[in-house]
Amino acid sequence: MVWDFVFAGEEDESQHLAWHAVASWTWDAQDETCGICRMAFDGCCPDCKLPGDDCPLIWGACNHAFHLHCILKWVNSQTSQAHCPMCRREWQFKG
Amino acid sequence: MADSISSVCNLAILDKLSDGSIEEILESYNGFCAATDTLLNGAGDLSVGPQFVSHVHGLCKHGLESLLRDHFLGALERTFEKNGALKFWRHFEAYDDVSVEEEVFYNALEEISLEKQYQEKCLLILVHALQSYNHGSHDSNEYRVELFAKYQMSVSSVLMATLPRNFPEILHWYFKGRLEELSTIMGGDFPHDDDDDDDDKDDMDLDDKCKVSYRSGQMEIDECYPQGRFLDNNKLVSNIGKVVRDLRSLGFTSMTEDAYASAIFLFLKAKVHDLAGDDYRISVLESIKGWIQAVPLQFLHALLAYLGDSVSYDSVSSGLKSPLASCPSTFYPGIDTPSEGLVRWQLRLEYFAYETLQDLRITKLFEIIVDYPDSSPAIEDLKQCLEYTGQHSKLVESFISALRYRLLTAGASTNDILHQYVSTIKALRTIDPAGVFLEAVGEPIRDYLRGRKDTIKCIVTMLTDGTGGNPNVSGNTGDSLLEELNRDEENQENAGLDDDFHTDDKQAWINASRWEPDPVEADPLKGSRNRRKVDILGMIVGIIGSKDQLVNEYRVMLAEKLLNKSDYDIDTEIRTLELLKIHFGESSMQKCEIMLNDLIDSKRTNGNIKATITQTSQAGSELGDNGVSMDVFDATIISSNFWPQIQDESLNVPGPVDQLLSDYAKRFNEIKTPRKLLWKKSLGTVKLELQFEDRAVQFVVAPVHAAIIMQFQDQTSWTSKNLAAAIGVPTDILNRRINFWISKGILAESLGADSEDHVFTLMEGMVDSGKNGGTNGSIEDLIVADEEGESSVASVEDQLRKEMTVYEKFILGMLTNFGSMALDRIHNTLKMFCIADPPYDKTLQQLQSFLTGLVSEEKLELRDGMYFLKK
Repeated sequence: MVWDFVFAGEEDESQHLAWHAVASWTWDAQDETCGICRMAFDGCCPDCKLPGDDCPLIWGACNHAFHLHCILKWVNSQTSQAHCPMCRREWQFKG
Repeated sequence: MADSISSVCNLAILDKLSDGSIEEILESYNGFCAATDTLLNGAGDLSVGPQFVSHVHGLCKHGLESLLRDHFLGALERTFEKNGALKFWRHFEAYDDVSVEEEVFYNALEEISLEKQYQEKCLLILVHALQSYNHGSHDSNEYRVELFAKYQMSVSSVLMATLPRNFPEILHWYFKGRLEELSTIMGGDFPHDDDDDDDDKDDMDLDDKCKVSYRSGQMEIDECYPQGRFLDNNKLVSNIGKVVRDLRSLGFTSMTEDAYASAIFLFLKAKVHDLAGDDYRISVLESIKGWIQAVPLQFLHALLAYLGDSVSYDSVSSGLKSPLASCPSTFYPGIDTPSEGLVRWQLRLEYFAYETLQDLRITKLFEIIVDYPDSSPAIEDLKQCLEYTGQHSKLVESFISALRYRLLTAGASTNDILHQYVSTIKALRTIDPAGVFLEAVGEPIRDYLRGRKDTIKCIVTMLTDGTGGNPNVSGNTGDSLLEELNRDEENQENAGLDDDFHTDDKQAWINASRWEPDPVEADPLKGSRNRRKVDILGMIVGIIGSKDQLVNEYRVMLAEKLLNKSDYDIDTEIRTLELLKIHFGESSMQKCEIMLNDLIDSKRTNGNIKATITQTSQAGSELGDNGVSMDVFDATIISSNFWPQIQDESLNVPGPVDQLLSDYAKRFNEIKTPRKLLWKKSLGTVKLELQFEDRAVQFVVAPVHAAIIMQFQDQTSWTSKNLAAAIGVPTDILNRRINFWISKGILAESLGADSEDHVFTLMEGMVDSGKNGGTNGSIEDLIVADEEGESSVASVEDQLRKEMTVYEKFILGMLTNFGSMALDRIHNTLKMFCIADPPYDKTLQQLQSFLTGLVSEEKLELRDGMYFLKK
């Protein structure tokens, strides 16, 4: 028996093999949910409709992550220097 | 005392009678009797007349007027019985059945009428004799009328007393025969009769109207034409008229009327059945009405005219006109104004026709609705009939029983039931726009569907699956129900923008004046007419109870569909989602929208990653011998939080592919920091080609299938344990999945050394593959792996079970404390205490099915509706 199992790469025509995979994305954060809105990081903040790029996470210098919109709201509501809602350190956006 | 007697009997008069006068009386009486006999039996000989008159005078002189009168009438009666009635009935004796020949019938009637006429003449002689004696002391006319009435009475009583049992039937048969004759004569003229060709039945309705008006138009111009036809009928009708008159004079008035009425009705019924038939694609009402005008009404008109009843009551008849005969002048060709009697007849006949047609259609309503919308003319007919007869409840009852008997059975598929339900809604909406009867009819279907497990799935499929899938062609047959509904709605909105204009006074007035009360059958609990406006989608959602369940099911189906897509083409899905958003609101479709958005994002990201990765990999020349180019690789990246639960199985994909996956993920991480990818390796689709010595076969399979077959590239025989280890799935799953390749004839299974351990070997070509046993080696088959009922997305039930497990502890704890609890108590307690994270939001039914699951797992026990902990 001579038979061949050909991958597309070896042949001239490229459509002999097509692999369509499925993946899910996740934020590479230590926590599951946003400490402010209690929504999942992989979801979105209460004001957003679409997760992912439209509702990104932001890390502070203290390494705590929040939804960008949530922490911005928090920071803007503070009259003086804002602190991280989790650890009370001064809030600095992580460069 | 004596006085009082004499005043009554006037016995004193007897004393005054002399012998001479007694003799005179006797003589006159004998003479009178003899003359009477000769007169009555004299067969037309009236020569004894003068003698008779003198005897009468003689008796009258002695005040015996009443005596002689009674005697004469008695004699008449006896003679009539002997000469008339017996002979008359003898004519029919020869016929056992009712089919008496026309001639015999005429002769018999003729004979008895002659006899009666003769007797009436005799009676007239008596009357004259009495009158000439009395010289106007009586009111002569009144006297005559009284006598004739007595005579008439005796005649009819004689006939009735001797009536053979089958005589009414004979009459009926006679009229039926004549009517048929008339119908055939008219039939040549009437446009729609049996001889009508089938092929012009389609445009019958239109055709009919044209012809009627054409005909009537011609009548006005050319008066000879109807006359000619009437001459044909005249003889026939006058014969009938004569028969009717003769029968009436014999005292058979009501019997005759019964006979011809029943004949007409039966004939009409047969005609309706004949015209209506089993073809629902044409409207028959017009032709039936036309036929009523053409045959029975003409017949009745002629008959009534002949009998002299046809006096014109212009003012009265106009008020009594059939509401359906909008322009009667068109319908009475050759007849000036319909008499009141005729209008009454017309109303009766039309009502009867409507009722007959309605009954006919109602019994076949199930079939008609199956054929909907082809059968809409029949529905239209039925609607008109019901408007006239008002027997909607009959429809409801009969249709419900037909439904129960024919549709709501285990044999009918849920899809069929749903389709019938939708057709029913559409059809009944035509008949009854208020939806009152629909409510009643729909209830059993809804109840039944609620008991079926696959109802939601079927509904969602029906709503969203347009098989055509080409949104550019409007109105193609493959449109999903949803699209159709949407079109309907747009049409409705365009037709009447009523709700928005309530502020406008004029419009409000128009609306108010258009108001009609609900039908009496309406259930006052169901709210007012406006709220009951028929909404098909609403009624379908009503089957399930809430739109949330429907949306959830849709989400699962959508996920399944999207995950199995190998391209990113989601135009139809977007369209469906937009339509669903219109009906269910934006917020409930939010998750579905994110899912579609993921696909769009994936397409972009995929392109981006591939574009950047090829540069780097080409530069680094990472591709080994067995490497797979990134060109053939695509990925769908999902936001897993918004997708239904996905059943991810572990799987070791072939090395080169695995390399691709990690490259891809790395690139994604670079582009989208700090996001990373988690592969769902068992999901997706793989298109691959197997090249054999003599052929190449293409397959579209799940990754697990691809992983399996790729293992055979290097090693043509594997034991199941080894293979399972190599691709990283449990042995039982492997055994299930590998069946795909075995069934395609590519792998063969044989028992290995260990009975648990099977050996799979690659076959040389696809020798004994039943499906693809082609001889031509160059055939390329594209075979799509069937999913074997396995879905990559967790079904709604699975999800529910998973969500409910949170509450299992609560429930077990409650039961430990309380001992036993009923279903609704558990439900209420959960509702009360589980308010935070995750709040308890399940329905009673969902809880029940979960508890049933616990019972079957032997954690709980159910006795008399109470749940216990299993000890």
